[in-house]
Amino acid sequence: MFKLLKEIFRTGEATVKYPFAPLHVEKDFRGKPEHDPEQCIACAACTVACPPNAIAMATDTDAGTRTWSIDYGRCIFCARCEEVCPTDAIRLSTDFELAVTTKADLTRQAVFRLARCEACDEPFAAAKEVAYVQDLIDKTAPSANEAARRRRSVATCPACKRARDVATVAALRFDRQPEETR
Amino acid sequence: MSRTPTTDAFRPTSGITRIDTPADIASMKGALLKDIQRSAYVYRVDCGGCNGCEIEIFAAITPIFDAERFGIKVVASPRHADILLFTGAVTRAMRMPAVRAYEAAPDPKIVVSYGACGCSGGIFHDLYCVWGGTDKIVPVDVYIPGCPPTPAATIYGFAVALGLLGQKLKAETHVEGADERVAIAHPNVPYNLRVLIEREARRMAGYRQGGDIAELFLTLLGTAGTGTLSERMARHAGLENDPRTLEILERLKGVVTAAMAGAAS
Repeated sequence: MFKLLKEIFRTGEATVKYPFAPLHVEKDFRGKPEHDPEQCIACAACTVACPPNAIAMATDTDAGTRTWSIDYGRCIFCARCEEVCPTDAIRLSTDFELAVTTKADLTRQAVFRLARCEACDEPFAAAKEVAYVQDLIDKTAPSANEAARRRRSVATCPACKRARDVATVAALRFDRQPEETR
Repeated sequence: MSRTPTTDAFRPTSGITRIDTPADIASMKGALLKDIQRSAYVYRVDCGGCNGCEIEIFAAITPIFDAERFGIKVVASPRHADILLFTGAVTRAMRMPAVRAYEAAPDPKIVVSYGACGCSGGIFHDLYCVWGGTDKIVPVDVYIPGCPPTPAATIYGFAVALGLLGQKLKAETHVEGADERVAIAHPNVPYNLRVLIEREARRMAGYRQGGDIAELFLTLLGTAGTGTLSERMARHAGLENDPRTLEILERLKGVVTAAMAGAAS
């Protein structure tokens, strides 16, 4: 009996104090993904990587906006979004207290402006993304001329880029000789 | 007269009013939450989940988390239940059993949707045989997201369901500001070199810890300080007793040295 009591006192209390005291959570616990919209360039890498499609993007060309959204109710906390994010805009926090009474509270949204194509003036990509890539080009391009060409290319929508490429190739004036028939 | 009782036989005579309208149930639910003076009995309905949620529910009633100290008790029959815990993405086969369990529980009942699958179908949301969420078949009071929710998240969810704790999440919409711009990280380090460093760090320590180590290394590399890079790395707080991180940092230094040698030649 005494031995048992001694053992009980030696062991102490195993139960955590959790709802009354904060729970110790490890630093690399995969909790709620925290999105920093100011650091986000709306490149959609996370929406492609997200296995359950909890992260989604919707483009509204009439309003000229692109809306990033996450549904914590669908998130499986795999951290693929964190892995692919080029600007560290999303990172899994240690916050696990996500229970809600209304489903709408499980969503987060961020609205980004779309940049307009410099050729056709149609919205085609997030303005922040275009600006970020142009900054990268300035840092990595081998020459000033090449940087200007690449900057222009990034600011053009894919359809106009194709049309421009066709015009460029036509201007090259390949003298293509028909193959000799046998 | 037929031996089979008709519905008329069960119809209440005058003086008895029905109390199962939605308004009645809402007021009863409010009274249950307000005056609950006893244990909250939980019945767990598996609507076709992977059993990860079940394992976490049972982890929540073990002595470490001990949900029973709040009187939360898992019972074996929906007829005893105050709280119905729906796990799983509601498959075609489990839809009817789930609805039957819901109907079998006495009013007022609190319905909790548990796990990513219960909240919205989770990773199975677009499967052909999946309804995608508990709220497609029964009205849900509390959603506990997670894949699976940890025992602590489960206890928090129960506390929200019983009105003991308030919810923390709120729907938010951020609208891009006028001059919002993302700056390139570590402008002092050449971009291609930064890519090499991050790639090597991720190769050795994974994307999360590798990313953290690369960030630390790039910060040390991009800012001036006294002493050589190795000395500054060794002096950095928290690394004195961390030979593995120091080893990775040394290798990252090797990447920089190799890149500089390649640029010089």
